[in-house]
Amino acid sequence: MILYSFRRLLYLIPLLLGVCLFIFIVFNVVATDPAVIMLGKNATAKQINEVREQMGLNRPWIVQYFDVVKSAFTMNFGRSWYTKQDITEMIMRGAGPSLSVTLPAFVFSTIFSLLVSLVVAYYRGGKIDLLVRSICVGLVSISSLAYILLFQYLLAFKWGLFEISGYEFGFPHFLPYIILPCIIWIILSLGPDIRYFRTIVLDELYQDYVRTARAKGLSEIKVMIKHVLRNALIPVITYVVIQIPFLILGALLLESFFSIPGLGGTVLTAVNNSDFPVIKAFTILSAIAYILFNLITDLLYAAVDPRVKLE
Amino acid sequence: MSQVNVLFNALSRKSVLALSWICVLSLFLFSSSCTKKNEVGENVLKIRVPIEFKGFDPIEANDLYSSDEIGRVYEALLEQHYLKRPFELKPNLAEAMPEVSTDGLTYTFKLKKGVMFHDDKCFPNGAGRELVAKDVEYSLRRLADPKLPSLGFWIIDGKIKGLNEWRDKSKSKDKTDYDEAIEGIKVVDSHTIQFVLTGPFPQFLYALSMPFSVIVAREAVEHYKENFMNHPVGTGPFLTGEYVRSNKLIYTRNPKYRDEFYPSEGEESDKASGLLADAGKKLPIVDKIEVSVIVEDQPAWLNFLRGEIDFLPVPKDEFTNVVTSEGVLNPKLADKGILGQKAQGLDVIYTAFNMEDPLFKNNLNLRIAMSMAYDIAKMNHLFWNNLSIPAQSVVPPGVSGYDPNYKNPYRQYDVAKAKEYLAKAGYPDGKGLPEIEYYISHGTSGRQEGEAFQGMMKAINVNIKLNVIPWTELQNLVSNKRAQMYTMSWAADYPEAENFLKILYGPNKAPGSNGGNFDDPNFNKQFEIASVMQDTPERTALYDKANKYAGEQLPLIFQFHRVRYIVQQGWMRNYKFSEFTTFNSKYYGIDAAKKSELLPKLK
Repeated sequence: MILYSFRRLLYLIPLLLGVCLFIFIVFNVVATDPAVIMLGKNATAKQINEVREQMGLNRPWIVQYFDVVKSAFTMNFGRSWYTKQDITEMIMRGAGPSLSVTLPAFVFSTIFSLLVSLVVAYYRGGKIDLLVRSICVGLVSISSLAYILLFQYLLAFKWGLFEISGYEFGFPHFLPYIILPCIIWIILSLGPDIRYFRTIVLDELYQDYVRTARAKGLSEIKVMIKHVLRNALIPVITYVVIQIPFLILGALLLESFFSIPGLGGTVLTAVNNSDFPVIKAFTILSAIAYILFNLITDLLYAAVDPRVKLE
Repeated sequence: MSQVNVLFNALSRKSVLALSWICVLSLFLFSSSCTKKNEVGENVLKIRVPIEFKGFDPIEANDLYSSDEIGRVYEALLEQHYLKRPFELKPNLAEAMPEVSTDGLTYTFKLKKGVMFHDDKCFPNGAGRELVAKDVEYSLRRLADPKLPSLGFWIIDGKIKGLNEWRDKSKSKDKTDYDEAIEGIKVVDSHTIQFVLTGPFPQFLYALSMPFSVIVAREAVEHYKENFMNHPVGTGPFLTGEYVRSNKLIYTRNPKYRDEFYPSEGEESDKASGLLADAGKKLPIVDKIEVSVIVEDQPAWLNFLRGEIDFLPVPKDEFTNVVTSEGVLNPKLADKGILGQKAQGLDVIYTAFNMEDPLFKNNLNLRIAMSMAYDIAKMNHLFWNNLSIPAQSVVPPGVSGYDPNYKNPYRQYDVAKAKEYLAKAGYPDGKGLPEIEYYISHGTSGRQEGEAFQGMMKAINVNIKLNVIPWTELQNLVSNKRAQMYTMSWAADYPEAENFLKILYGPNKAPGSNGGNFDDPNFNKQFEIASVMQDTPERTALYDKANKYAGEQLPLIFQFHRVRYIVQQGWMRNYKFSEFTTFNSKYYGIDAAKKSELLPKLK
């Protein structure tokens, strides 16, 4: 397993080189000139050139590309062009608020959806199944913005149950601010999650081993939990683990409407201002996280399914 | 694997149900009991900003939000009078307005004595020292330092004797030498500084009132180095504490702030509206300012209605709920003590023709046709709640050079005439006219505005290809002269016609402020003469002439001078709308007793 993990981690090298090349090309060929954005309405050609010089954008492209590669492999992303903050500090500070919303909501919605999917799969074709499927379709049919606008107005403003927006750092101060965004995240996740998990569970329900378990006289709850759920876990793990790195990036719309100072807003500000060092850091870290969590998924396969051998 | 088995065996129907209920209940447990209570009785001003501001380095303060934050902690030599209109400069760190030599080239400033920098660890023993003339010299040199990302150098570029030469020389050096003499900046004594200009530059005083030219301490810059942006050490009325830029900034009153007082003069209407009630009161008036970053309009509006924000421009989507068809505040809000006011900004919204495009360059008739097909009343109704002022040219009301009686003959909506001009342009009924690429940024209603424009042009058979793109992309296209037509706005840096007419001045062509690349020798000459004159009736007449001349050349389809509707809580004192808000927060006040009385009405 160690050798397997090591080999998978080696994939990071070509991947990072490719990601660096991709973001470098996108930034230098497609994206807006950051000097133009920085200087704004009173820019002159001379000043644009001077700012480009200061930012190192007039150096040969190959030199600039190696700067990107160097920061990817040293994890030293420097400072934001826009706010001059240390990028690592920005990420550390933004990750907390983002995770404080996404993580509890994600854990709750995943567990709840999985349990509901077991129930509705068990009652497949019945009234409960029909009702839950209808609710799920209803939930996904409404846009996330509608939930946010309605719940913020009704639950937070009209009924005063939650804070309208804002955030306080540190536990438990942030709790009043995250509950409503968490509820909306959960509502948004339930529809697709339950429908997906139900399909997986249904696939398992018709397997021979389920018939055998029932023939042995096991109770339905044991059949569902001990046998069906365990075998359904592999696709569930893939679905769940791959989402984890994106939780750190936060939920852009929720952060924006509830004034949560998370990484979603940081990324948006960086994109709006052509803040290349920040965009670069996020792209590289996302790529690394993707590889790492893929590896974790594979390791978990082996943990939950003895048939899977890592070679 | 055995552990996994144990886990599964342990799960029973009851435990699953119990787990589910615990999760649901735990979410609701924190709800009503956890909502924050609005503090009553505190002298705290609560402000909303819609974006994460850039930071506290004045040389990079080229946006409204950074400027406002900088103005709470830093100060400049001059500032705009808080109450007087038309705008008038008054001394801030300067003891008085400067002595100006008869040739208008030498400006001598005396500084106030006893102005102290905030206490900070960058100073010996952490105690702030007195501001002296050397600090003014240092701060202006920083603005011109080629090693720094100065975004405000344009305000003094080529204007002070020897400054550009020093800047050019510094480019090739490893380190900028701040001690090398510059002919045009002389520290006469500890509290006197003199500037010698290269030529007439009447806007120089405005430059010294802008956030770019606030005074910083050299010790702070050298102590915090690249992190100076995040550690403001000024002389201003407020101090910063810990803050998270993307969330909330809290300022507290500077206990060592010198004796500065609320103005006792203003416009005639100021007394009646209570804006002179605090005349002579020591500044700042509030003890604390809370600035919250609230990106979206809905939460900002709901927070205002809850009393968590003290003033706010009415969000577009809320307008009809806030302002009646008669243009007054909705009585339901007025009953809660909320006040409303119309606020005309110093700006102009326009749709520019790229005058280097052969289609528009020598075809005034085509430009007239498109201008006359533009239904200004409809656009005002659809997008500006009928509040905004139709623009006849670039100079807005409130700036000398604006003639309220002037109607640009080619800016009046008349489809029949527009068709006539289109025929004169060589495209009868639009025949032979290629499709025109038009760009507008997303904004709140960019697409709708673009489609409305497209429809109006279609009415005279001009085909517009609508491109709705991000703001940064539009900036880039305009900067590279690649936008055939585009819509943008221009807001005043200072209240002078020169600041508006410059967007049509030939040498300022893209990537400069003249993004439409209009280059007319007659206009250029008029601009060059007027822009170096002191403020006299002759200059006003020249600006007026240049404004009308450019208006009738139609390098732009002139749209609006924006008028916003601002609401404020009944407990907020001394709010007067201004385009120049950088140094205004020291004048704002909160009536705590009134807040206790009105806040329950908002619940």
